[in-house]
Amino acid sequence: MPAKSNAAAKSSDREIVITRVFDAPREMVWKAFTEREQMAKWWGMKGMTTRVLELDPRPGGTFLYVIRMPDGREMCGKWVYREIVAPELLVVVHFSTDNTGEPIPHPYDPNLPPEMLTTTRFIENGKRTTMELRSVPINETAAQRAAFNKLADAMEEGFNNSLDLLDDYLATI
Amino acid sequence: MVQQNMTQERLDATFSALADPTRRAILARLASGETSVSELAEPFAMSLPAISKHLKVLQRAGLIERGREAQWRPCRLAAAPLKDASDWLEHYRRFWEESLDRLEEYLRELQKKEKKNARKK
Repeated sequence: MPAKSNAAAKSSDREIVITRVFDAPREMVWKAFTEREQMAKWWGMKGMTTRVLELDPRPGGTFLYVIRMPDGREMCGKWVYREIVAPELLVVVHFSTDNTGEPIPHPYDPNLPPEMLTTTRFIENGKRTTMELRSVPINETAAQRAAFNKLADAMEEGFNNSLDLLDDYLATI
Repeated sequence: MVQQNMTQERLDATFSALADPTRRAILARLASGETSVSELAEPFAMSLPAISKHLKVLQRAGLIERGREAQWRPCRLAAAPLKDASDWLEHYRRFWEESLDRLEEYLRELQKKEKKNARKK
């Protein structure tokens, strides 16, 4: 997959970018991302428990999971693996599903992009591992893409400050 | 389907309302409390009709409300749609960030175990 230039990424393809350095060798981090028992140990937010229904890390294969939230509600999701280069590159399409693995609209709003293409790179860094994750919406309608881009634009322009103000305000009503 | 189209229209309106810097400034101003149109117009080098136009866009998007009080019809924030949209993007990021926090913790435990095992050998 060719690296996208930053300029192009800025003008159209909005990304979520996360970089982390793990104090563990790359092989270990890779296994944690690609082995069934290990995925279940960390995938999901604090207080959630994850059951892995399926994990088949090869192109076209899937990772299907059920996450149980602290209030007992469950939600399902799926990765479909697009590209795998052990132990350095993992490209997946991520979306919400029902409990049979069928895609469902975005749980927050049907107008937001339901599928995210997530590219994760693992880079050796001495005894540590640097992980770079990029996530962009794919297979979305033009309206969904516009929604995502405008939102990302607004946030980039320092709109976050206004949102903080809004949060404060919302806390008072 | 009708329901979905309505949501779609509302969300489109929200995002096009947010695309304009003046309108974002108006929202930020309203975050500190309700106010009259003329007070709102003050910091901007704009006529009242121009400001009113922006307010109409914001109102259509459901981002602000206008009071019924006859003369000055105060503007106030109705920020729920805005919050929903920003929540979504933030939620996805937060999901990853928190998962990765747990991964970090898990890898630390794993490393400890391996060292222990190595010492036993």
